[in-house]
Amino acid sequence: MPTINDPAICAEISVLHDAYEAALAANDAAALVNFFWSSPHAVRFGIAEHLYGADAIAAYRQNHQLVFTERKLLQRVIVAVGQDTASVMCEISQKVSGFPRHSRQSQVWVKFPDVGWKIVAAHVSNPLAPVSTNWENYVDQAAGALGLPLSPAHRLGVAAQLSRTAAIAVPLLDFPLPVTSEPAPVFTA
Amino acid sequence: MNLAQSTALEISAAVRAGRISARVVAEDALARIAATHSRLNAFTTVTSARALAEADAVDAAFVSGRDPGALAGAPYAVKNLFDLAGVVTVAGSKINRGLPPALVDATAVSKLQSAGAVCVGALNMGEYAYDFVTENAHDGATRNPRDETRSAGGSSGGCGAAVAAGLVSFSIGTDTNGSIRVPSSFCGIWGLKPTYGRLSRGGSFPFVDSLDCIGPFSRSVSDLAASYDAMQGADPRDHACAPRPVAPTLSGLEGGLNGLRIAMLDGYFSQGGEPQVHAAVAQVAAGLGVTRRVEIREAALARSAAFLITSAEAGRLHLNNLKTRADDFDPGIRDRFLAGALLPASWYLQAQKFRHWFQERMRELFREYDVLLAPATPVSATKLGQQEMTVNGQTMLVRPNLGLFTQPISFVGLPVVAAPVQTAGAMPVAVQLIAAPWREAELLRVARVLEHRGICCAPTALLVP
Repeated sequence: MPTINDPAICAEISVLHDAYEAALAANDAAALVNFFWSSPHAVRFGIAEHLYGADAIAAYRQNHQLVFTERKLLQRVIVAVGQDTASVMCEISQKVSGFPRHSRQSQVWVKFPDVGWKIVAAHVSNPLAPVSTNWENYVDQAAGALGLPLSPAHRLGVAAQLSRTAAIAVPLLDFPLPVTSEPAPVFTA
Repeated sequence: MNLAQSTALEISAAVRAGRISARVVAEDALARIAATHSRLNAFTTVTSARALAEADAVDAAFVSGRDPGALAGAPYAVKNLFDLAGVVTVAGSKINRGLPPALVDATAVSKLQSAGAVCVGALNMGEYAYDFVTENAHDGATRNPRDETRSAGGSSGGCGAAVAAGLVSFSIGTDTNGSIRVPSSFCGIWGLKPTYGRLSRGGSFPFVDSLDCIGPFSRSVSDLAASYDAMQGADPRDHACAPRPVAPTLSGLEGGLNGLRIAMLDGYFSQGGEPQVHAAVAQVAAGLGVTRRVEIREAALARSAAFLITSAEAGRLHLNNLKTRADDFDPGIRDRFLAGALLPASWYLQAQKFRHWFQERMRELFREYDVLLAPATPVSATKLGQQEMTVNGQTMLVRPNLGLFTQPISFVGLPVVAAPVQTAGAMPVAVQLIAAPWREAELLRVARVLEHRGICCAPTALLVP
């Protein structure tokens, strides 16, 4: 039975993961690529992208700018199995493109005799942070009334979109229009 | 004759004088499209057989002494939401790929064919036109020929890229909230969004019926006028197409400013963009001798109302597919359609009522002014994949905010010419020249003055080998 969570190994991984986070914050594409195992067997699943092999990972990093703010590590669980294998699982709170996300990051690290610790597999996901319950209820009711079957995968995103739309609508709804101002049934410029 | 740099009217003049055949022009365009496709990704369909047949018909007309048309032999392409007989009208979507090929051409396409223009293909766009960057989930992103790491704008991004790269002499796209003016700005070319109802949308896939317009892109003002002229005319295929007589603009293009009252839009339109875009407006104003400024106080509300109308109408348009195959939509756009389908009716109606009210305010403004100047986009071309931008120290999403300056204007159907300003060492941006409804001729005259004075131009982008 290999040693679980050897403190020395956990410390090594924790330093490496901190460095990975720093590279993310600096948008340092070269450093990010270098954390990954330089092998066609390396895999990284992103929010929308499926990257198989070190070349695909490197190409993605070259062409994509990371855009997030207020990134905060909420929870990090490192499990070291023996002297050369570890997983890192994180929950992260951040804003992606200005909207709050509750993200997850998973990494499998392996220590190679020649190149040391490298990530052999990783996956991130970016679910939306919960929005106002009212909008979720509204979405359920309105979708039901329209006979629109809403997949659970889309429900939160739709509620978030409606909540943003509501913020846009409020000043317009407050704007005092004369009673005689009618919507144009046929608009003519 | 360098065909990549020739305008539609230069090509037409050469064809009509027998100096070059339309077939040679078409073959040259097709070869350049093929050679640059992997870099620009502007085209989704290349209609080689159609182009050669149309070119041969032009050449046959010339040989037999018949008039081959005002745009004889000029190669052009269409946003892939226009029907081309025999081609599936995908409108940037995966879902429409299952539709049968169009039986007949869109009205605009058949009018251009009558004028002798040669259609070489269909161009990439954001899915169902709900996009300002043309990063299409199914067909890939179109790259900006002036900097291939950047967006060509959207949703008519393929239209902008193909014209800026000189692959066609002009193109036709659509504009609901800025989809002609944003690519014009990002690609540094001329664009015309005519008055709502001026050109027929017959045979084009809709987005927001209350707002949709079609219009041309080009590298010269004369081409903008000539292609616009060729597409005019009432059409029973589009309920909104106004039964107005054709009013040609090309013949009066050199009329000059001739007493036109021009002002810069102040307030909402004079802030909220990068310094470069406001400088471009100032440059255009200076070039026209304009110093007056006027404010539209409710511009932000007009934009909000355009947003709500767009959301509700687009959501309803796609409701059946949202019910049965929501996963086939671009994930970046799907939630917006779904939310639009669920929008409270009161919001939509308030937006439509406000539209009437705002239209009256704009009519009052146009009693004092003929042409208004405003930026087209808050920034120059953004990077592909870029999600956020910082403008005036404020960080905001790219996609929903590129229409900041275009949405309040198209909201009430006003005609706009996007006039490109080139700056050495920077990406171009366009300035909106805005007029009262049905006054396209005046806008084009102002545009021609700007072109003549060297303030605005749209040179062919030379791709770095």
